[in-house]
Amino acid sequence: MTNNGFFGPKKTITLKVLRYKPGAIDPPRYDTFRVEANAVTTVLDALEEIKATQDSSLLYRHSCHPASCGTCGMRVNGREQLGCVARLLEQGSDVVVVEPLASAPLIADLVVDMTPFAERFAPAGMRLVRESEFNPEAETPVGVETFTRYEDCIECNICLSACPVANTNPAFIGPAGLAAAYRALVTGERSPAEVFAYVDHDDGVWRCHSAMECSAVCPSNVDPGHKIMALRRELVTYKVKRFFKRG
Amino acid sequence: MRSIEEKRRSGIWIWQAVTGVLLVILLSLHMIVHHFVVEGGLRTYEQVLAYIGNPLVVVIEIVFLIVVTFHAMLGVRAILFDLPLTERQKTLVTRALTAVGLVVGAWGIFLALWLFRMARMA
Amino acid sequence: MAVPIQHKSPAARAVQAWFNPLKRSAGFLAFVLMRITGIGLVVYLLIHMVVIGNLLRGPAGWDSLIQTMKSPWVLALDVVLIAGILIHMLNGLRVTIIGLGFGTQSHKGIFWTLMAVAVLLLAYSAWLVFTK
Repeated sequence: MTNNGFFGPKKTITLKVLRYKPGAIDPPRYDTFRVEANAVTTVLDALEEIKATQDSSLLYRHSCHPASCGTCGMRVNGREQLGCVARLLEQGSDVVVVEPLASAPLIADLVVDMTPFAERFAPAGMRLVRESEFNPEAETPVGVETFTRYEDCIECNICLSACPVANTNPAFIGPAGLAAAYRALVTGERSPAEVFAYVDHDDGVWRCHSAMECSAVCPSNVDPGHKIMALRRELVTYKVKRFFKRG
Repeated sequence: MRSIEEKRRSGIWIWQAVTGVLLVILLSLHMIVHHFVVEGGLRTYEQVLAYIGNPLVVVIEIVFLIVVTFHAMLGVRAILFDLPLTERQKTLVTRALTAVGLVVGAWGIFLALWLFRMARMA
Repeated sequence: MAVPIQHKSPAARAVQAWFNPLKRSAGFLAFVLMRITGIGLVVYLLIHMVVIGNLLRGPAGWDSLIQTMKSPWVLALDVVLIAGILIHMLNGLRVTIIGLGFGTQSHKGIFWTLMAVAVLLLAYSAWLVFTK
């Protein structure tokens, strides 16, 4: 943990962390821990200190620390954030509640099963790794600067947790998957017919009620809500054109 | 693209939007004419009858009724479909809402025509 | 490897989130308002259809009913109804426009602007309801 007076005075913060171990801590409960935090202490810093000095059985996922891997998504005081960049003193209270992401099956403590997320994301046709990353001479597509690069998605699952619909309807493709489908459409990675077959149903692009919370919580500026709306415009245009052609 | 079962195509959101935009016009007409044009609102039996005796009014009221009922049932469907329903349950929900919508529509049309007849006889 | 237990947050808790805009942004608040007013308006539509059925009872039945409708409490309910209609209608226009991919980047500004319009129209309507 950062221990530097430069980052301002330290303050004691109480963390209420959701705990769950199948068969052992079941039903889930909240455990309380106290940590010293300064201006730059993150929630992930605090969890690491708790694991090192207070309770080694605490489980959470993390990898990189600078918000580029998307592994440490969690709900901090009821709002989805990446633990590695969520500063403890900026959460607006001395008691900070830390919970796993919603709309994903809970495995233990703060660890959720990411499989449902991957299932909605991969079939949309977005490559998880960019081809150009292996090709230094690759040319950037024309107009790339005009749209938010979908490749910015770090697959953190935060958008799904914040979506009011994904939380009640597990069949809903959800923000990341729909945004990926839109991206596959505009890059030409997939044909319109393929993309529309994937999203044009009651659990697809029509299920979104434009709460736009996915875009509000996205830590990587993918703006999935905007992509879903744009995808819907493409689909409506396609349907209207087809309707008048037929008539 | 997706190996999971092919889902039924849907564009019901478009209908929700179209009926919604129509309602902005129809509901504004309905509210203004019923409650704000006649002094004290369209209130007494006599006033209601005088109003609905106009064939154009009957047509507008019936169109309004159909559009609002359709929009309302689609809205309830949209909320219920946010729940984890099986395909069978979805079909049941759609059928039940269609039935409710038809009953409301039939009742409203009957009422409008009956009042129109009363107005013409008066 | 331990088999992960399919532990989902209870469905009831997830449904409650439909009506809880705390800690959420303007778009979510719009979603909550849309849902509450939408459900309210469907209930009102059904009640309204039953109430106007009283017209079948002729002038005596209808006019006495209208007298009770003129009590300040019922008029206050009328104002609540108009509030629901305005919120749902203006928000609906917003959802339609951004739902077609227009103005999505400024959806929050559109929301607050329309809600300001709703407040103004509501104030005017309330004045009409209680004075005319």
